[in-house]
Amino acid sequence: MLISLNELKRLVKIDLTDDELFKLIGSRLVEIEHVEDLAPKYKKIYVVKVLKAEPIEGTHLHLCQIDAGKELNNYVDPEHDGYIQVVCGAPNVHEGMLAAWIAPGAIVPVTYGTDEPFEISARKLRGFMSHGMLAAADELALGEDHAGIIELNPETAKPGDLLADVLDLNDKIIEVENKSLTHRPDCFGIWGFAREVAGILGQSYRAPRMPAADADVKDEIITIESADICPAYTCAVIDLENPLAVNPYFDFNAAFLAKSGMHSISKIVDITNEYMLLTGQPLHAFDYDKFVSVGGTDAPLIRVRLARENEKLTLLDGKTIELVPTDIVICSGDTPVALAGAMGGESTKIDETTRRVILESATFSLYNLRKTQMTHGIFSEAITRFTKGQPIVNCEPVMLAAAQEIALASESAKVDFIARKCMVPLPLEKVTITLSVGDINSLLGTDYSPELITTTLENTGFKVTVKGETLTVSAPLWRTDIHIKEDVIEEVGRLLGFDNIPLDFPRRPFVCPTVDPMLELKTHLRSVLSDRLGGHELLTYSFVSKSLQEKAGEDPTDSYQIVNSISPELECFRQSLLPSLLDKMHDNEKAGYDHFTLYELNQVSKKSWGLNEENVPKMQTQLGLVTHGDFYAVKHILKELEKSLNLHFELKPLEASATLEPLHSVAIFLGHEQIGELGEVKNSVKKRLKLSRITSALVIALDPCLGAETAPKFGIKLSRFPSVSRDLTFRVPATTSYTAVEAGIKDTLNQIKDILYTLKPVSIFRKKGSETKNLSFHLEIANTEKTLDGGEISDIIDLIVKHLSALGAEVV
Amino acid sequence: MGKLEELKAKLNNLGREYAKIKTLRQEERKAFGEQINRQKAALLAQIKALEDAAEDAAVEPIDLTAPFGENTTPFTPASGTKHPLTTELDRVAEIYRQMGFNVIEARQLDDEFHMFDSLNFPKEHPARDGYDTFRTEEGFIPPAHTSTMQYRALTRFRDDLEKYGQIAVVVPGRVFRNEDVDATHEHTFYQCEGVFVSKDATLGQMLATWKNFFETYYGQKLNIKTQPGFFPFTEPSLEFQIEKPASLGGKGDGWLEMGGCGMIHPNVLKTAGIDPEVYKGFAWGGGIDRLVMLKYGINDVRYFESGKLDFLKEF
Repeated sequence: MLISLNELKRLVKIDLTDDELFKLIGSRLVEIEHVEDLAPKYKKIYVVKVLKAEPIEGTHLHLCQIDAGKELNNYVDPEHDGYIQVVCGAPNVHEGMLAAWIAPGAIVPVTYGTDEPFEISARKLRGFMSHGMLAAADELALGEDHAGIIELNPETAKPGDLLADVLDLNDKIIEVENKSLTHRPDCFGIWGFAREVAGILGQSYRAPRMPAADADVKDEIITIESADICPAYTCAVIDLENPLAVNPYFDFNAAFLAKSGMHSISKIVDITNEYMLLTGQPLHAFDYDKFVSVGGTDAPLIRVRLARENEKLTLLDGKTIELVPTDIVICSGDTPVALAGAMGGESTKIDETTRRVILESATFSLYNLRKTQMTHGIFSEAITRFTKGQPIVNCEPVMLAAAQEIALASESAKVDFIARKCMVPLPLEKVTITLSVGDINSLLGTDYSPELITTTLENTGFKVTVKGETLTVSAPLWRTDIHIKEDVIEEVGRLLGFDNIPLDFPRRPFVCPTVDPMLELKTHLRSVLSDRLGGHELLTYSFVSKSLQEKAGEDPTDSYQIVNSISPELECFRQSLLPSLLDKMHDNEKAGYDHFTLYELNQVSKKSWGLNEENVPKMQTQLGLVTHGDFYAVKHILKELEKSLNLHFELKPLEASATLEPLHSVAIFLGHEQIGELGEVKNSVKKRLKLSRITSALVIALDPCLGAETAPKFGIKLSRFPSVSRDLTFRVPATTSYTAVEAGIKDTLNQIKDILYTLKPVSIFRKKGSETKNLSFHLEIANTEKTLDGGEISDIIDLIVKHLSALGAEVV
Repeated sequence: MGKLEELKAKLNNLGREYAKIKTLRQEERKAFGEQINRQKAALLAQIKALEDAAEDAAVEPIDLTAPFGENTTPFTPASGTKHPLTTELDRVAEIYRQMGFNVIEARQLDDEFHMFDSLNFPKEHPARDGYDTFRTEEGFIPPAHTSTMQYRALTRFRDDLEKYGQIAVVVPGRVFRNEDVDATHEHTFYQCEGVFVSKDATLGQMLATWKNFFETYYGQKLNIKTQPGFFPFTEPSLEFQIEKPASLGGKGDGWLEMGGCGMIHPNVLKTAGIDPEVYKGFAWGGGIDRLVMLKYGINDVRYFESGKLDFLKEF
């Protein structure tokens, strides 16, 4: 929303500098996004009279003589006596008009502050010297109109005047953040905004008195389907003595509209828009004759109802929309003629033939209008205000004021008649809240006196009765946001400045706070994986594409689908971290990296897991890891994790996997539960994901690791007698598993009394094409009771060899 | 003769000189001996310095500006990296933990109740539109703010009110908004939420608490200022700003918007089974990504979820 500082200063006495005022508004009312100082934009732009405008043959141009006042005339164009020569291309330039003239050396306002400011000069056009230019509304950054140059009203302007003085452009425009006023419909009018500014300045405020039409009453012409959709509807019918479709002059009001981000359309529409900008109450004008003709009645019958299935409506912008049953429509008889709160209809549009208008001022359900806004994508100034919940109290007075103004402007004697329908009991009831001074000070942490609190609230329209410590606060009818005592407390805190509240700390008990064990586990894993195992932690989106899931071998239908995703790339909530990791692996390979490990710790979910006790999808926090290496590389990583977590993972054959090659992969079990898998990525998956190197992956669900039984397994024990070491190599059939041989050795050793040993694998060697392989071990062995001698060692080795021969192993 | 030989000769001479001690009277011997020893120590030190210099001079100079040495190949050390966002989230959580807050993590798929209803958003209210939420076919919501966890934090730690007189929880988490992505906007980002409830919680405590967090985080005293805000789940509602810290080039003039805060709305407490007539609370929440971007000078938020090693290896 754009607020004119000049307008604000006409309403409130402000002794602060502009910057101090902006700071105060920012800290006590609403965030200011931007302030634009208009003054420098309109330097050296003057009102001029067009003395002569003669067509230049063979062109659309006119050669003009203009009068910018004696001094300027002689200074700018000394060649001509008493006037300035300008070439003008606008079709509406004519003798006798007052126009806006951008003098040589001035910047065209619409280009001011852009990367390419355009400075006007004196130059030759078609052989004629042209000094400066006559400007259209768009060039002046006062609208979008480029059909012709603007014409100024001779009653308020004369040649040589600065345009900025005539149109009130020595102004600053404050752009406020609408979002933080979502609950304050009263602040969407400059008068309401000014009341708040007065309040934060500690001043009382009186809104300007509005004119009020005096007219007959015909309330019976309005029917409203239900109070839920339209709590109040009022209107006025005005005969236009003098048709006012087009406003001939660009005047102060047109400039006010432009400064507020709107533009002049026709005099009637301009008056409705001005009142909306001043009061926050949107208005709409229908052509009376068209209205009754559409309804097929002699007198207007206004009906407010919900739209029906299959109804259509052509709007003012020419678009025909299909109405939905949550849209509220204004009907003539039973025929929809306007989409309530959003946009009028084509069939009752005001134009130059309009002789009678129906002026509407109403309030509608903000919930319905919000749906209308979303369904039809209409974001007008009016609907922006309606969706904040306009108060009923403004409907009638604003209608009466605007009706009176339209009647005056058209030189009508009076407003013909008015009609009102209010669906809530009248008189409107004010919200009254009782609270104590202590309630206020204890929530804010302040020490405000009852007197200060009372004045502060009363400055912005509240009524306060004080009885000892108890305050009875009644909220003004325009404050639709005040319901509970905290709302009143907020007002006091805000108006007196939250920044003036003394800071204080909560008292805390000496209790050690807890940290989510999952957060702690993740922190631990990060230090193991990054600091010890060389992994690079990355974060990827929680949303992936169906195509990526399919490439990684997953079933996309098991993913929660995002219905309003930004793109197909982000359609599915992910089931596993692996597809994203493999995808990033490819990106990094392409970027020239080789031999790296990527991992992520994040949440995943699958539809087939169902919902939890809160009825929200069950989720899993996973560790996903990919690395350039074979099965053993990633198994090594798991073994390291196992050690650091003090858990025991069991590795079992992997039956099937979406992404991993079962022959080169294992399932990871914790107790009886499979919590993950590790191994080499399937060739097919690699091919689809364009991964060329050997790639392995690891994925573990971390939730089961929390609270799992830890497995102390630090197994190195020391004998006080010296140990002896032996290297052993066995030749076994290639199909014999490493574990079988290792277990064979250990079984033998475990049966010998008083023995301590460590057994480490040294190498696994198999000649290409051979049906046997050699397994080498390093054995350290000691007795807890005595020193082993050579003979005893040999006996032990013999026992091992004998035991292993059952596996077809021979010692080498 | 080289300097070293010269010194060694001097040392020998000194030995001969010392022999003269026998010719001296008893009372002169001590002073003489000490003088010789001082000279000897000085000579030995000079000799050692020269010898060390000769030893070290055997090392060939290298080009200290080159990326790697001559006749070697570039190497990639097997050292890993942690994502700057998770590192910072850990740090944020750790500061709050030291201040006395329990830490729980936010979930990444949630529902209308936790996102809006439990937070006093009226049904169908336009305020729900301000959050640009994603939705699944089933109507679940990847949360658009960590406030989705307020109800859980309040109910999970409700017993603390009896035991310790207060609830103190922070919730870091990943959040999502349906927003066009550019250098400063991401549809996926991180926030940290805080809630505190006690019988005598005040807005002054809210401001002091968050101020203290930032002062700890940035290691300096900071000025703060606020703006009125609007959130259905707090009343009063404020936007919170801190002075730009010196470590980020602040000179006492700039301000950084850090998020929203306020006193927990009585309806939110009521929904969570806490009597608002007895207890009051404050809550706050702000983004983490920008803290990290400012800290490391990251100019594009899209790096965070890019998975690029070029980026990750910088941390």
